[in-house]
Amino acid sequence: MPSTDPHDATVHPSSSYDAVVVGASLAGCAAAIQLGRAGLRVAVVEKRPDPQAYKRTCSHFIQASGVPALERLGLLEPMEAAGARRPRVHIWCQWGWVESPPERAPRGVNLRREILDPMVRSTAAETPGVEMMLGWSAERLLRDGDAFAGVAIRNPEGKERDLRARLTVGADGRDSRIAELSKVPVKTYPHNRFAYGGYFEGGAPVHSPDATAWFLNPQWCAAFPTDSDLTFYAAMPTKDRLPEFKSDPEGALVRFISDVPEAPPIREGRLVGSMMGKVEMTNRMRRPVAPGLALIGDAALATDPLFGVGCGWAFQSAEWLSDAVRPALQGAEPLEKGLERYRRRHAKELRGHAFFIHDYSTGRRFNPGERMIWSAATRDPELALILESYGTRQIGPGQMMPRAFPRAVAAHARHALAR
Amino acid sequence: MSGDVRRSSLLAGGTRTRLVEAGPEDATEAVVFVHGNPGSVDEWIPLAQAVAARTGKRALAFDLPDFGETIAPAGFEHHVAGYAAFLGEGLGSLGVERAHLVLHDFGGPIGLVWAMTHPDALASVTLIDTGLLPGYRWHYLARIWRTPVLGEIFQAITTRAGFRFALNANEPRGLPREFVDTTYDHYDSRTRQAVLKLYRATPDPGAMSENLIGLFRPRDVPALVIWGEHDAYLPASYAVRQREAFPSAEVHVLPASGHWPFADAPETVERLLAEFLGRVPATA
Repeated sequence: MPSTDPHDATVHPSSSYDAVVVGASLAGCAAAIQLGRAGLRVAVVEKRPDPQAYKRTCSHFIQASGVPALERLGLLEPMEAAGARRPRVHIWCQWGWVESPPERAPRGVNLRREILDPMVRSTAAETPGVEMMLGWSAERLLRDGDAFAGVAIRNPEGKERDLRARLTVGADGRDSRIAELSKVPVKTYPHNRFAYGGYFEGGAPVHSPDATAWFLNPQWCAAFPTDSDLTFYAAMPTKDRLPEFKSDPEGALVRFISDVPEAPPIREGRLVGSMMGKVEMTNRMRRPVAPGLALIGDAALATDPLFGVGCGWAFQSAEWLSDAVRPALQGAEPLEKGLERYRRRHAKELRGHAFFIHDYSTGRRFNPGERMIWSAATRDPELALILESYGTRQIGPGQMMPRAFPRAVAAHARHALAR
Repeated sequence: MSGDVRRSSLLAGGTRTRLVEAGPEDATEAVVFVHGNPGSVDEWIPLAQAVAARTGKRALAFDLPDFGETIAPAGFEHHVAGYAAFLGEGLGSLGVERAHLVLHDFGGPIGLVWAMTHPDALASVTLIDTGLLPGYRWHYLARIWRTPVLGEIFQAITTRAGFRFALNANEPRGLPREFVDTTYDHYDSRTRQAVLKLYRATPDPGAMSENLIGLFRPRDVPALVIWGEHDAYLPASYAVRQREAFPSAEVHVLPASGHWPFADAPETVERLLAEFLGRVPATA
């Protein structure tokens, strides 16, 4: 029954929606914006009461693959106005720099989550048809026969409500409560690196405002210049190096980054705020749909942060879902048809990437095929562009490999003949 | 203070060895570079010059017998203790009373054995891809060298191209051509024989670990450890283990380097070494 309590978080007494989204972070808000703009009624449930809340442990890098989704949401322009950088990524590997032609290099977006999250959330809150319910957490899933049909929510005072919806969306991150409650199948893949990072004032890398990543095979670090003239420095070493980082996170990060080839001047910078770190990052790949339910963002696929894909894929998967289920929620077809369309799109776009990302996240070194392509890419800008288009997730492995291998063979042959 | 390198020779242990020096000539405290195998005084020249210029300290290096251009005296014992004794005689001739040892590869055991017999003369130690190696099993090349007949054949058929290939194949970024060629230039038949003798006289490179720990751990000697993560001969996992003997050691595992970090990451090694020596008290 609808609540009549005036202190209730809802503005409208109705508790029936076209969709209820759990999680008001990037994916959840993006889905709510798209569905709201389609004329649908959407409730967004978020356990954190503060509308300014943001995800702290995040490199905040949005790959070029996510940029069209930002443009479609109308967020790219306000993000740039808020100081977002539009970097390409200069990649160092043991054979040299992987540099695609500058004018064609894919560009991502860098804007701190501290600014991005409230911006996306307020855009969602201002979208007609979207109701934000901050300070409420999902307790259990509601059912209608075999299908899920919304969530029961509770606030810190112990008040409970049932939010009924034709579609329930889990956008509640890597440790998704909705995924857990729905018992969708999940596959896990080990991760043998850990991550530490922090924002630095001063000490910007030479490629600034572009980003730089060092693939040290198997170690990794990166510098992401961002808004407010800050640089986010991050390292993802293999776990044998963890004791050093645990005992002195800032010192270890500065030492680690200072010791890499063509090191950026991090020692001239000053840490702003505190260091952030994450030690356990097991990759989780869940089936993204169940009857009446869909998972988006990290809830569907929580994969290695090393490749900076989380934020972009949050926006993209939200877009794929809203496009897929819109006809059904508008009454044009059964919901399961839309959910199946989303499942197929999610698999088509991400499964290949996930396979290779999970394989590399074991902490291994480059395999012979990778060595062949990466070394050739340092000598062939067109091959570098193919590799970058893959790394920025604009093309999948199925498109990358047939183009990259012949070019790599040719580049190596040219190099051998020139010697 | 001067960063110029002075090349001369030194009479020590019954032979004349090539000497490279930089910084104040008569200082009794010196940064002493000890090469490994293959190696010679040549590989230390840029680093010695830079360290002298940046720290104002006397920096020096000399060939070990039958390496570089130096001929071992008659009766020289090609084992760690023999080389350590030669190092001591060289330092004595040069008037060095306190040494900041910078050791690489087989220079590690040689320098550390000298330090064990002169613990009060050890001002600091910098271990570059070397140090105590508890439980270490010889790398594949050493196993070949240690095998009678096979070692001799292997040394006899090692060509410049093969040497170049073997060195670079195990290095993540390859080594500078000049560095490899200079090293090969000194890898003559005398050095090849010396290598066989030295490795055959060293059955267990980790054997002295306990003694090193027992002697140096209580002294907490200032130490810097630099190790290439991709070292194919001495695994980088030994880098942090140097703290067993040198508890306060500053450890840097260079993520893109191999067995010769001073050749593939010279700026980084120079910075780390100069900063470390700058922090070591003048009289420890």
